[in-house]
Amino acid sequence: MRWPGLAARLAARNLRRRPGQALLLLLTLTIATGVLGVAMSLYGSADEPWNRVWRATRGFHVAFTVYHPPDEPGDRALVAELRRRAARLTGAPGVVAVGGPWTHLYGSIRLAGGTEDLTAEVRGPGPYAVDQPLVTAGAWIGDGDGVVLESGLAATLHAGPGDTVTIQGRPFPVRGVAETVSRGRFPLSRPAQVWVSPETARRLRGLGMTEEGFELQLRLAEPGEAADFAAAHRSLEAVPASSSVVPYLETWQQRRAGSHSDIDILAGTLFAAGGFIAILTIATAAVLVAGRMAARIHQVGTLKAIGVTPRQILLVLLVEHLAIAAGATALGLGLGRLLAPPIAATSVTVLGRPQPPPLTVARAAIVAAVAVTVVLLGTARPALHGIRRSTLRSLAAGPRPPRHPSRLAGLAARAGMALPGVLGLRSAWRRPGRLLTNATGLALGVAMIVVALALRDSLDLLELRPPEPGHAASDAAVAVLYDQIRSVIFGTAGLLLVLATINAWIVAAFAARDAARNQAVLRAVGATPRQTVIALIVSQLGACAIAVVAGIPLGLGLWSLMEGGDLPAVRVSATALVLLAAAVPIVFAGIVWVPARLLSRRPVAPLLAYE
Amino acid sequence: MTRVIEARGLVRRYEADGSPVRAVDGVDLEVEAGEAVSVMGPSGCGKSTLLHLLGGLERPDAGELHLGGARVDGLSETQWAVFRRRNVGFVFQAFHLVDELTSVENVELPALLVGDSRRAARRRAVELLERLGVAGRAGHLPDHLSGGERQRVAVARALVNRPLVVLADEPTGNLDSRATVDILRLFGELRQGGQALLVVTHDARVASTADRLLTMRDGAIVAQTRLDATTPVTGLLADLADLEGER
Repeated sequence: MRWPGLAARLAARNLRRRPGQALLLLLTLTIATGVLGVAMSLYGSADEPWNRVWRATRGFHVAFTVYHPPDEPGDRALVAELRRRAARLTGAPGVVAVGGPWTHLYGSIRLAGGTEDLTAEVRGPGPYAVDQPLVTAGAWIGDGDGVVLESGLAATLHAGPGDTVTIQGRPFPVRGVAETVSRGRFPLSRPAQVWVSPETARRLRGLGMTEEGFELQLRLAEPGEAADFAAAHRSLEAVPASSSVVPYLETWQQRRAGSHSDIDILAGTLFAAGGFIAILTIATAAVLVAGRMAARIHQVGTLKAIGVTPRQILLVLLVEHLAIAAGATALGLGLGRLLAPPIAATSVTVLGRPQPPPLTVARAAIVAAVAVTVVLLGTARPALHGIRRSTLRSLAAGPRPPRHPSRLAGLAARAGMALPGVLGLRSAWRRPGRLLTNATGLALGVAMIVVALALRDSLDLLELRPPEPGHAASDAAVAVLYDQIRSVIFGTAGLLLVLATINAWIVAAFAARDAARNQAVLRAVGATPRQTVIALIVSQLGACAIAVVAGIPLGLGLWSLMEGGDLPAVRVSATALVLLAAAVPIVFAGIVWVPARLLSRRPVAPLLAYE
Repeated sequence: MTRVIEARGLVRRYEADGSPVRAVDGVDLEVEAGEAVSVMGPSGCGKSTLLHLLGGLERPDAGELHLGGARVDGLSETQWAVFRRRNVGFVFQAFHLVDELTSVENVELPALLVGDSRRAARRRAVELLERLGVAGRAGHLPDHLSGGERQRVAVARALVNRPLVVLADEPTGNLDSRATVDILRLFGELRQGGQALLVVTHDARVASTADRLLTMRDGAIVAQTRLDATTPVTGLLADLADLEGER
């Protein structure tokens, strides 16, 4: 049998021989790939529904929009000039259809809890060559009074054809409900939008609505050239710096990207969470692989003895762990396909049913790359370390004896610390790599909890705050979005803590194995099992100290990056931080207690006879 | 004389290849205060297991064990630990010092465990290290000591609480001749102090320094020899060779 085939067989046997460790590695990797898989399936799941409406409404390829604050009407002459520029743009090469320019009026509409800012787009009876809104209920605007509601606004108002809405304090009948891609869906996209006929517009002007600009929409012969077309006509956007009038050209792809901000924010948060989790998974993988290497040192020695080269042994290890990475990738992507649709369905911006984007090779490759990177980074050091050791030295594998007595333990003893604690401190730094790995995992978990605590307090404040004038519904929608983000962050904190717990468990189990001889010696000279358990727990508590010292400032730093915008600034209470700092070592001690207790129950004599 | 060890019908069984093996098979043993007893026998005859049973590192499957007049075969793990720290000192062939503790800290450890003050424990540990000629290595970690130095530290640790009995398992097995002589001299001083000593050894020279020699085979004591200055060491070696040959 050729070597690659033999390597694959050896790898398969190793996986079968220690299924627990393989499953643990698979689980930790799948947590990372699963979160990334969900983010991957979520990101872009609103695109296809948007495209469907865009096609059905003959949506624009390039829009030229002019906006001026309603309370600052701006330079009428400049607006007139911009209308002339818009007219010239309709004759530009490549333009095959024109919609508008449609005038926008600014006012307000009443809904439960207050009023919302409103844009009324003035339309003739149609049909339109570009952006023919898709009527989902009732009829399009026609002769006589009445408005057509954008579908998100209709859903928020629970209004439909035959109902009335209050605009500028006067009732207007609802003629219909329509969807468009020209605007994002209310309430996350502001202001609310209705379509009105010129006759209704005249009445609205009489009620105090003011002009706030217009929009011209164009379809091009080549939709893919929209960005080039916009770039070629940037001169249209030129206005004096002192002017409050804002003209801008926008492509259909840009507007699509901005139309479902909640899903993008959610996916972005999940990507960040996946990144955090992946970092921690590297640590877990490294600890696990080191443990697997220690357990397989005999096999490595045997392979070397029969003439297998270190490189070939490394290949066996890589095949084994890459197989786990492949499994984690498949599971992660599968979880993403499974979980993303219900998460996306909570979005208030999607035009219809969300649809996860097709699983392209590129998307799968990103998740696979993360899994493979984690495995490579986690495997490389312990694997090379194990391979380079002489076989005889490997057989005596154990922690390197300390070179200097621990000063910290000496100080603790002089300060009157109980003997088991001092003994624990003596061995605390025997495995600094594992201690720091453990500390990293715990610190990330602690940081995420701090962020989650801050977010909880901030959102509580947000809910208590009265809505801003004209934002009655949209503030509530933003709060819903933040609620979702809070769930993601709490979930991430939970997953990080699960990983940190797995890390702590593995490290504690290995520490117990390392400490077995010393513990047996201690018991032989009269230490009780309880004292040896305490010593082992204390030896591992350094990771907690580092995690608390590093994790809390890291969390506060992350929070300072997140706050701002709509989120009220809050300080995480000192009490909460103190409780967190106290809880971490207690929980961690509980985790270490299990392997320490198991070790303390083992008979002493065989442990001493081992040497 | 005070009886320090009294064992009646001690049995310890193991599973080997699916069938039970009696590592210690009905051993009766009495050791008086100030008495030194050596145990010899072929490898695997149960010498070390007997020592572990006497020190509570293993539990007998049957039999009674009294140490210092107290019945100890039914003690729990914790009770044994507390009893051992005051009354039993162990010396192992592999020294078994705690890697992270310096020589003096290893020696004072049992004293701290019985609740002595740090000052008293340190004073006693330093005294013992001085007696054993390794006071200059008091602040060194075990990894920085020679085999002989480690064993002296281990002996000092076994003696620090003035236990009723010192149990030594091949204490000179890893030592050169000079270090062996030093350890034997120490054991001689021990007996003068009234402490009992039980030494498991393959070395007839070591065995010949005891008051009594027990010979074990297949888990049982098959011979007891009272030793004195006239007992020839070569005879002991011949006896041991015979036993090895029978195996």
